Amino acid sequence: MTDPFNCMPKICEGGVFAILTFLIQYRQMETITLESQLFQYLITGVTVGSTYAIVAIGFNIIYGVTEIINFAQGEFVMLGGLIMVSFHVALGLPLILAFLATVTLVTLVGMLLDRLAIRPIRRPSVLTLIIATIAASIIIKGAAMLIWGKDFFDLPAFSGRNPITVLGAVIQPQYLWVIGFLIIIVVILTIFFNKTIIGKAMSACADNADAASLAGINVKRMILLSFALSAGIGAVAGITVTPISLMEYDRGAMLAVKGFGAAVLGGLGSFPGAVIGGLIIGTIESFGTGLIHSGYKDAFALIVLMVVLFIKPSGLLGSVEISKFKRF
Amino acid sequence: MLSIEGLSASYDSIRVLKDVSIQVPRGKMVSIIGANGAGKSTLLKSISGLMKINKGRILYKEQNIAGLPAYRIVGLGISQVPEGRQLFAHLTVRDNIHLGAYHYYKKRNRPEIKERIDKVYQMFPILEKRSKQIAGTLSGGEQQMLAIARALMARPELLLLDEPSMGIAPLIVREIFDVIQQLNKSGTTVLLVEQNAKTALKVAHHSYVLENGKIVLEGLASELLDNPKVKEVYLGG
Ligand SMILES: Nc1ncnc2c1ncn2[C@@H]1O[C@H](COP(=O)(O)OP(=O)(O)OP(=O)(O)O)[C@@H](O)[C@H]1O
Ligand SMILES: [Mg+2]
Repeated sequence: MTDPFNCMPKICEGGVFAILTFLIQYRQMETITLESQLFQYLITGVTVGSTYAIVAIGFNIIYGVTEIINFAQGEFVMLGGLIMVSFHVALGLPLILAFLATVTLVTLVGMLLDRLAIRPIRRPSVLTLIIATIAASIIIKGAAMLIWGKDFFDLPAFSGRNPITVLGAVIQPQYLWVIGFLIIIVVILTIFFNKTIIGKAMSACADNADAASLAGINVKRMILLSFALSAGIGAVAGITVTPISLMEYDRGAMLAVKGFGAAVLGGLGSFPGAVIGGLIIGTIESFGTGLIHSGYKDAFALIVLMVVLFIKPSGLLGSVEISKFKRF
Repeated sequence: MLSIEGLSASYDSIRVLKDVSIQVPRGKMVSIIGANGAGKSTLLKSISGLMKINKGRILYKEQNIAGLPAYRIVGLGISQVPEGRQLFAHLTVRDNIHLGAYHYYKKRNRPEIKERIDKVYQMFPILEKRSKQIAGTLSGGEQQMLAIARALMARPELLLLDEPSMGIAPLIVREIFDVIQQLNKSGTTVLLVEQNAKTALKVAHHSYVLENGKIVLEGLASELLDNPKVKEVYLGG
């Protein structure tokens, strides 16, 4: 399939690589101190980590209602990025409109995932449902390849690409958008789950689905809502990160692994844990890539994850108390 | 108010309820006694919609509610206190109570909900003291009170109670049954399932004995208390 959008020259690594290339060019212009270099890694790590954190939150929302690990979570991010490219770049819709249309569309994909892959399973065990999400992620990835091909796509940054220099580190304005959206999502979801009756009803489903239905809660609808929500925020992550790291059809699986790592690291089910886990994994990745070797990029995070789980299996913020209740 | 006709239900292919028929007149307290595994909980779950039934009719206010999902049935005025409390263990006491009112939790019902919360706190003052505590950390007796309070928040006309005395000290059992009897006196119809036959027969007007999924005996609770067979099997001679 030909590339209809005349995208950027193909780069064979994701976000961190693009950022590093940029760094190397920048270094030739100005001498860089070690501190500013380290600060640079930190900023980059927090940005990449914000995306992981959003994916981890998506895992937690669905896990929180169903105890399912939705491995299609990364596909929502990929779809967010690519659909935004089509709406904003190819069709030329204005940024905000394209943004809303993309989030809506991906949210619908999330709801379809529930209706087509999760709900029809007749005697669901947590494990069969997880396998269903893996199957769904493969199908979504395949569909994306048919629609967009195997190219990398770029999006214009929301507010240009003129970097801001802070303490000698180069900050793309888009970094701030990524981090900002993480903050917005965390604030909104915190209010939703702690203050609204529907948010509490969703938690109730996870605690005890039968008791929830006895209280008048339509558990199936809550599950649908959890898929819609996680798909929606996944789309936001994809839209905001694409101007930094580009997007291609098969990015989802790795994002899911990193996001899952972040969720487990922070303690499955814990929202603050997801944020901390995401930021830690992003930061480790960034420092590891910068100071050691970019080839091991994906390994750093997983090694740290394994070490943490070895020391504290319930994750950083997960309580042992809660993990006792877990069926999976 | 509730009339069950020829109810059969099974798990997989094992039939647990066989042609069960019972009547629960409005305003009365009816109890069902039976040994472990007799099918008491299954019967209550069939009424509340948690259990799919195979055959029979469940008439509530002349409407057949068999086959309706549980979250709809509670909206009709039937509220179940499940066996083993089944609280939302990670949520606070207050959240559990609020969620009890979920099916009519709308802005315009706020005053009513507030009023009901005050009422259940009056019935179980300890819950108000513990309102911010996580439900899973309550004592057994407190958990049972919370389970009842949550069910009452749904504004039931028919309350289904599944072994409210299980694992609770006698003093607290008495306190809980006092509340149940008061509720009944003030108009709530009650269907009570108990293994503790003595209590169940003392508080109820009418009783049924369930054995292996079949009703084998029924009558005024006071008569069953004197029935030699009931005495031998359920009241320890
Ligand atoms: N989910 C289930 N799957 C399969 N069989 C079940 C299930 N729940 C209950 N049963 C079986 O159905 C029968 C009746 O169970 P039920 O819970 O209704 O008994 P019960 O009278 O409430 O007993 P208890 O006094 O111990 O609570 C039992 O033989 C039980 O093993
Ligand atoms: Mg039982």
